[in-house]
Parts: sequence; structure tokens; C-alpha cells
Amino acid sequence: MKTYNFFSIKAIFFDAINFAVVGSILTVAILHPTEEQLLSLHRNALVFLIFFIVGSGLSSILISCCYGKKQSEIKKIISSRYKTLGAHLFESPKYKLNHSTHSFFSTVWGWQLLLTLVLVFITGAIQTHFSFGELFDPQGLNSASQLFRQIASPDWSILPIAVLKVIETIFIAFMATVLAIPIAFFLAFLSAKNIMKHPLAFAFYGLMRTFLNIIRSIEPIIWAIIFSVWVGIGSFSGMLALMIHSVASLTKQYSEIVESVNEGPIEGIQSTGANLIQTIWFAIVPQVVLPYISFTIYRWDINVRMATIIGFAGGGGIGTLLNQYSMRAMWPQVGCLIVVIAAVVWFMDMASAYLRESLK
Amino acid sequence: MNSAENTSSSNILSIKNLNKIYNNGFHALNNICFDVKRGEFLVIIGLSGSGKSTLLRCINRLHDPSSGEILFNGVDVTQLKGQKLRELRKQAAMIFQHFNLIPRYSVLSNVLMGRLSSTSTLASLFSQFSAKDKKQALEYLRLVGIEEKASLRVDQLSGGQQQRVAIARALSQNPKILLADEPVASLDPATCHTVMDYLKKVNQELNITVICNLHFLSLVKQYATRVIALRKGEIVYQGHPSEITPEWFTKIYGEEAREVHVN
Repeated sequence: MKTYNFFSIKAIFFDAINFAVVGSILTVAILHPTEEQLLSLHRNALVFLIFFIVGSGLSSILISCCYGKKQSEIKKIISSRYKTLGAHLFESPKYKLNHSTHSFFSTVWGWQLLLTLVLVFITGAIQTHFSFGELFDPQGLNSASQLFRQIASPDWSILPIAVLKVIETIFIAFMATVLAIPIAFFLAFLSAKNIMKHPLAFAFYGLMRTFLNIIRSIEPIIWAIIFSVWVGIGSFSGMLALMIHSVASLTKQYSEIVESVNEGPIEGIQSTGANLIQTIWFAIVPQVVLPYISFTIYRWDINVRMATIIGFAGGGGIGTLLNQYSMRAMWPQVGCLIVVIAAVVWFMDMASAYLRESLK
Repeated sequence: MNSAENTSSSNILSIKNLNKIYNNGFHALNNICFDVKRGEFLVIIGLSGSGKSTLLRCINRLHDPSSGEILFNGVDVTQLKGQKLRELRKQAAMIFQHFNLIPRYSVLSNVLMGRLSSTSTLASLFSQFSAKDKKQALEYLRLVGIEEKASLRVDQLSGGQQQRVAIARALSQNPKILLADEPVASLDPATCHTVMDYLKKVNQELNITVICNLHFLSLVKQYATRVIALRKGEIVYQGHPSEITPEWFTKIYGEEAREVHVN
């Protein structure tokens, strides 16, 4: 085909989606469809698709205008103002057009960016029902200030139970992290590109990566709901939920460390006639162990915060307690819990930062 | 038949029509043929990218050759797999330009890495090397003159000392042949000679055949018993180092090259 096809697929795809989004927003703004019409997914998807196709057509015309065959340098400079935003973002350095000669409001990509940002922002404000009126409504302000006043005068009588429950939360996070370490340690090698070189192994690597991405994209709070049905509401289900999420996250971080190791020692150990396990153990493990520990401590830190949230979904610990008090609008008690949680999170944050600093 | 056996017994290594084409299509080695006699100190010279490193890595199969034969002690090693491949690597030890030691380990632990192929996997994972191995490792450290550094972390040593640790590691494999891939290229000139002297010592005292990639012609003339020159993946010169004339020099290194002396 033509010389610009190195990046044009990505660029056209970007422009087409951009055009479809802008087109759909404008359609809604102009036609004011009813609720029922908005819910007809099939027809709306079709409209989106039509805009997508028109957009890709427009984009490819403009891109071929800029990057097609040209004779003179001056023609190149003139036509570079027709460059689309997609082309501007994804153009390969090999075919970089000189765009400094045009200020951004005299180019296609400049207007495309401006129009998209403005429209998307307006849509966002409408979607989130943004309203200054409600934010500064006197009645709302009044009840908010009452709530703040109650939270700001914590009921210290529940401190013993709060401390007991926050210890439970810390241990939920601790167990989730500790149990995730050996599993992630093992899986990390199976999801590292530089280990899984053999074609069959590489297929397995792809499978592992997809699987881990799926696990990671399911939020721990959903895992907590699943496990609270499975093993019953309480700290055990919370711990399992965090563990699943930690395995997926740690595996990804560990495998990235494995992928960035220095190849020299690997070659060195291989050249002695060592087998695969010995090579991993002596050439890779010493290189990754410190970053592993650092990431693991950070994961524990994150897990303590997450364990609090998970408590809301039946994961046990201080989160469950917080959920109970806030449902019954017991704000002074909530205030006490907030202080305890903040103290623990602050302490964990500091401690993990100090520990990780010392490991460098 | 008889004469063939005779030649194979005096040749530790015999390379026939060796080709290496990388996945990106780069033809790194083109029909390489040469023999290496037992006890030789063979030096391979050539510019960066001439295929020297690829050639050494084909011999111990860190790279897989595309075609051709590599007869090591009369056995073709180009198709070896698994245990037999590891046995080949044990017998054809290698040292590297950047030493390729394990930085966080002690000098002695690094030397003991040479025993991995002779230690069971389970024992090696717990670093259970035999007392004999440890004693031998210390002896090799004495041979290269850094016995007193045995308990230091290897990344505290200078470049030249690290390369001597690498030599000790290679020796602890009890190799038949030592492949040295530009062993002095990242060292200063003074240290260069120390390391080369130890390689010569290994060659002469332990009677281990050495194949060494080098940059500097002055070192070649001092240490090599025979020279092979590579240019763009082909052998352009084979012979005694003293026979390299200025004409040969420009042929190997190109018109603009000028000889640099290392003292």
C-alpha cells in the first residue's frame, strides 16, 4: 500500500472513535431523544457504528492528504495542517511532519482536540448532574455541618472495640499478602517473557497474562461478595478476596521485575552447564529478591486500606463495624473509627516507606 | 579411516561449514571451517560485529547454529539437548567481557557456581556443595592469585579481579576447553596483561585449550599460538600471529584502521 500505513491503522481507529463519540453527543443534543429511545441499545449502537465508519473514511482522506505522495516541500508544509488528531498522536517518527509552522488553531487536529474536550466536558457535567445550586443549598449545608460536628466529637467509649477490629483488619491484610507471596513467586516466572521463550511456553505465557488481567480487573470488593457467599461473611472471606487480588497484582509486578533482569548472570550460569531451575535460582532470584520485598511491603500497605473497604461488603474487620455504625447514623462512633483508621493507614504508609527506603 | 581417527584425536574441536543466521535475517557466520588442536591458544580477531562472539556462543550452544557441524572430541554437538547439552557446557567453560558473575554473592560462592552441573538440583538450591568442591574452588582462587578475597562480595572487587574470579569459576567446571569472549575488552591496559597472563598459565600449566576473542593485535602477538581473523562472518586469515603483516592488518580491520599498542 502507501508509505504511511505503519501508523495509519491506529490513527484512523482513534479518529473514527473520536468522530463517533462527538457525533453521538451532538445527535443526542440536537434530537433530544426520549428515555425509551436512549434505551434501545441496538439502534444506538448502529448510529455509533455509522459515525465510526464515516469518521474512519474522513480520517483516511485527511491522512492521505498529508502523507500521500507530494512533490515539493512547500506542499508538504501546507498539507500538514490537515493532519488529524489520531495522526498527530500516532505518527511514526520516520514520517514526522513539520507542524511547527502552523499554530494549533489553524490545524485540523487542534480544532478536533478542542471540540472533543469541550463536548466531553459538557456531557460529563450533565451525566454527573453537576449543580452548584445543590452544592450550596442552605438546607444541605446545614445538615452537612451537623454531621461534621458529630463526627468531629468522636465517642471514645468504643475505642477498645475499634482497636480490636483494626487489629483484625491488619491481620486480614497480612495473611492475604503472605499467602499470595509463594503463589505469585511461582506464577511470576510463568508470566515473564524472557523465561517463556519456547513457542509452546509463549502460548502459555499469553494465557497466563490474560487470566491474570481478568482476575485483576475484578475489584476485591466483588471477590469479597463472592467469598462471603462461599465461606460466609467475616474476616475469612475478606482475606480470601484480598489474597486473590494480591496474587494477580504481585504476579504482574514480580514478572515485570523478572523481565528487566540483567541477562549477563543468566548467560554466565547457563555456560557452566546449570539446568533451568539452577539458572533461575542463582542468576535471576538474587537480582529480583530486593525489589520483590519492596513491592510486597507496599502491597501489604495497600491491602490494609483495601481491607477496610472490603469490610463494607462483608469482609470483616473495622470496615464491617464502620458500615454498621454509619447505617444507623451513629456519627460520633463513626468519628472514632475514622480516627483509628486514619492513624493506622498513616502509620502503615510511613513504616512501609521507611522499610522500602532501607532496601535500596 | 585410520588417518581420520588420528586427526580427530589431535583435534579437540573441528568446525565444518558453520552458518548462523539470526531471526532478523542477519548472516552472522558464513561457512566457517577450522580445527583446534589440543593445547592450543587460539585467538580470534576481527571488528565488532564480525561474528567472533557468535562463533564462541555456537560452540557451547548459548546460540544455536543454523547449519554445519561442530565436532567436540569427535562428537557433533549442534543437536545436543538436555543433560548432554549441559555436559558439553561443563566441558567447554566460558568467560565473558562483562564477567557475568552474580554481584551479591561472595567470591567463593561464585566460583562454586562452576560445580552446579555436577551437583544435584536439590542440593544446589540449598548451596550444599561438597567439601572437596570448596577445597578445589579455593585452590583455583589461589591459582589466579585472589585466595584472600574468597569471602568478599564479588561486586567489591575491581574489574580485573572479577575476571579472575570468572576464570576460577570456569576452571572449577574441570573443562577441556576454555572459551574467552573478549576477556580484557572492559579492563584497563595494565590489568589486561594480568588477566591474559593467567589465561596463558591455565593454558600451559593445566593444559586446557583456550579459544579467545581479542581486539588488540599487540596482545595477539604476545599470547596466541595461532590466529584466525573474521570479517563479516567469514574467515579471512588463518596462521601464526607473527605472520600478520600490515597488509593483512588492513584487510582484517579495513583501510582506515591503525594499530594500537597495549603495554
